[in-house]
Amino acid sequence: MKKVVEVILLLLLSTVHAKGKRFSPPGKPALTRCRSPEKETFTCWWEPGSDGGLPTTHALYYRKESSETVYECPDYHTAGENSCFFNKNDTSIWVNYNITVVATNALGSAFSDPVDIDVVYIVKPNPPEKLAVTVMEDKGWPFLRVSWEPPHKADTRSGWITLIYELRVKLEEEDDWEVHLAGQQKMFNVFSLRSGGTYLVEVRCKPDHGFWSEWSSTSYIKVPDYFHREKSVWILITIFAAFIFLILTWLLQINSQSLKDCILPPVPGPKIKGFDEHLLKNGKSDDVFIALGVSDFPPTTSSNYEDLLVEYLEVYVPEEQELMLEESKDLHDGCLKSESSTSDSDSGRGSCDSHTLLMDKCGEAKEEEEEERETVRESSRMRTEAQRCQKGWEEHGDMVSPDMSSGRVKTWPSVFSPLPQYSSSPQDQQRSLEMAKQHSLSTSSYLIQPGHSTREVLGPSYWDRQPHLLHPQTQVRQAHSDVNISNIASKQSSPGSLSPALRGTEYVEVQRVNEEDMVLLQPVVEGCGSMEGCPQIPQGEDYSKVKGVDSGNVLLLQREVMEGAVCREMNGGTGNCYMSSSVRSSLKLSACSHTAMPVQEEAALAVTGYVDTATMSRLPIC
Amino acid sequence: MDVFLCISVFLVVCLVSVVQQGVWALLLWPSLFSSCLPLDCKEEQGSLSRCPSISQEKLLDRIIQHAELIYRVSEESCSLFEQMFIPFPLQFQRNQVGYACITKALPIPSSKSEIQQISDKWLLHSVLMLVQSWIEPLVYLQTSLDRYDAAPDMLLNKTKWVSEKLISLEQGVVVLIKKMLDEGMLTSNHSDQGLFQYDVQPEMLESVMRDYTLLSCFKKDAHKMETFLKLLKCRQTDKYNCV
Repeated sequence: MKKVVEVILLLLLSTVHAKGKRFSPPGKPALTRCRSPEKETFTCWWEPGSDGGLPTTHALYYRKESSETVYECPDYHTAGENSCFFNKNDTSIWVNYNITVVATNALGSAFSDPVDIDVVYIVKPNPPEKLAVTVMEDKGWPFLRVSWEPPHKADTRSGWITLIYELRVKLEEEDDWEVHLAGQQKMFNVFSLRSGGTYLVEVRCKPDHGFWSEWSSTSYIKVPDYFHREKSVWILITIFAAFIFLILTWLLQINSQSLKDCILPPVPGPKIKGFDEHLLKNGKSDDVFIALGVSDFPPTTSSNYEDLLVEYLEVYVPEEQELMLEESKDLHDGCLKSESSTSDSDSGRGSCDSHTLLMDKCGEAKEEEEEERETVRESSRMRTEAQRCQKGWEEHGDMVSPDMSSGRVKTWPSVFSPLPQYSSSPQDQQRSLEMAKQHSLSTSSYLIQPGHSTREVLGPSYWDRQPHLLHPQTQVRQAHSDVNISNIASKQSSPGSLSPALRGTEYVEVQRVNEEDMVLLQPVVEGCGSMEGCPQIPQGEDYSKVKGVDSGNVLLLQREVMEGAVCREMNGGTGNCYMSSSVRSSLKLSACSHTAMPVQEEAALAVTGYVDTATMSRLPIC
Repeated sequence: MDVFLCISVFLVVCLVSVVQQGVWALLLWPSLFSSCLPLDCKEEQGSLSRCPSISQEKLLDRIIQHAELIYRVSEESCSLFEQMFIPFPLQFQRNQVGYACITKALPIPSSKSEIQQISDKWLLHSVLMLVQSWIEPLVYLQTSLDRYDAAPDMLLNKTKWVSEKLISLEQGVVVLIKKMLDEGMLTSNHSDQGLFQYDVQPEMLESVMRDYTLLSCFKKDAHKMETFLKLLKCRQTDKYNCV
């Protein structure tokens, strides 16, 4: 019988082969998985390989751990296609099974890879059953109580299998599940619910070693609205907020004025003297300006001496003095270079030390640099003009102070812008006086590089400007007479002479205003104090002491003859040279008068504030 | 002044909330005490005269707790060892390599149907046998692990803990047997156990495989113990519906 079958098969094969189809032994099957739902039975599934075109049968063989006996699968049908079901009697726990699947067809057979399993480790229970969800209340706040039963096949009662549970909750409209681990208990509470929402709940379980079951069927629950509870909270909050608001309003009202001042500070009104807002409002602009004009400007009264004494009185000093002064100035570079000098141009520095006073002026000059540049240029121009007028001045530029010129970096400002130095010749002196006039324009002191550098700075275009144009300005700025001594002017001193014997001009600075309304001037020659071996200050009649200003806008000067004044310099800029004056003579200077004065004997105060003790021929014209 | 007012208002609000929470804390205060009260002297099971004896149910509960814990720790140790020392392909051949479990020879039921048929006495005796047969091998395992270079402290601590707990479990089972079965029992019979022989220190790979087998076998046996004890408990409460 068997042989007949085989013959038929062979015939079939040959016929089929003749048709072009090939048969082959079956492909290798593979065990896909084995599962036990309750640790008492288990099932294994396999995947067949290619069948080779012929009908193929599969068989499962297993061997238990400690014996060599091979058994075949007891049940191929209960669990479905390609499966083997081991019932209770055939299942041993804690014992390794060695399972193999064999695929057989007419041409051959194929063995799968053997698989070792222990039933204990392949348990995947069924999902929990009888999931029940209810809404309960806890002091007005609702929560969900979820309860379930273990899968009916799993024997948890006897402890044969121990299950742990997990549930997940989500709102109907959301996407994310909220997962809670419930341990071994079969009940769980879910809090923090949204009022009025619909929730979905699912549960699953797992043995203490094994696989998670599938999620149970979903249970729906709707949470009732508990708005009333929230409402009371809102009411409380509203009342509270209203209360606070009332209090704040009341406080604001009480402090309204001070608050207003704090937030919106009052705008300062105009401080123009004589400016009358009402006039402006009335629309009479003429009256306004007339009212303005009533003010005492230019100042004619002598009541405010301090105003007049804001600036320095500049005095020419001989060249070497200037040299030393300028050198000392170098050492005060910190002041010169500091842009942020805090000097106040309006303060009368009656009690400053000589050097520091001038230094501060230097800083001041910096501030007003912009506006003064024009005037400086003009004055420098004039200086150069004067230079040209002078003879033999070319070499002066070099003479002045090569060191200084090289040492100085800045062009502005210069504390020392000496007035043009006067040579002995009256002619020169006259010219330099005019020069002095002219470059007293500047209200602040500028630092002008000694001689040549400034010349370079200024273009030739300026040179054509007429000096006389500058007079009104000089008049205007008389009150702010700064020490404005041009270096160029200084170079115009007697050529090549750096000897201390020169008495042409020297620096003077306002030391203070004493109680008799006298401006005490000090020679600035003690700038030499910054260096060692400062030469003795020249003695002579070079210093002017301002006696006072009378009502006719006349500056009263006292000329003093210096004797035996020795300049000692302590440290940079702080040395004070006190000179003893022996001879005093009064000078009457008039800002706007044409007073002819002896050139050599008297000090003249230029309108611009320069005091030339050595020579003075003519005062500037008002 | 308004600043003061704002601050005071804020403080009042804070105080209210704090007080509310404080009330809750006060209410829960007594519960702290209840969880810390020690139960009666389980560790003195050997000498019953020293303290009032524990009831059988409680004793069984305690034993089951012990067994559960032992099983959990042994499972963790086994997986830790597996991760660290066993290359991946060998991880699934736990018992195939040739190292059979040492307790294979013991007459222990291995299927539910078998277990259904044996008596309480046999259940207890099986548990005792298992426990006693593992005490020595665990000590050996401890020394073997100490020889490793890179054994993590956690693993060593766990195995140490397990061996200690196993001894106390043995004591508990002995007491339980005495109670349940009214039998005097040999407390420990370690020297008779010829199941485990000390080998000359094997080489590293062998040692690793042997230790791995030991750990996984112990894990299985711990689970057996736990299951038997739970079954026993079920039988105590409801004889007819249990296994």
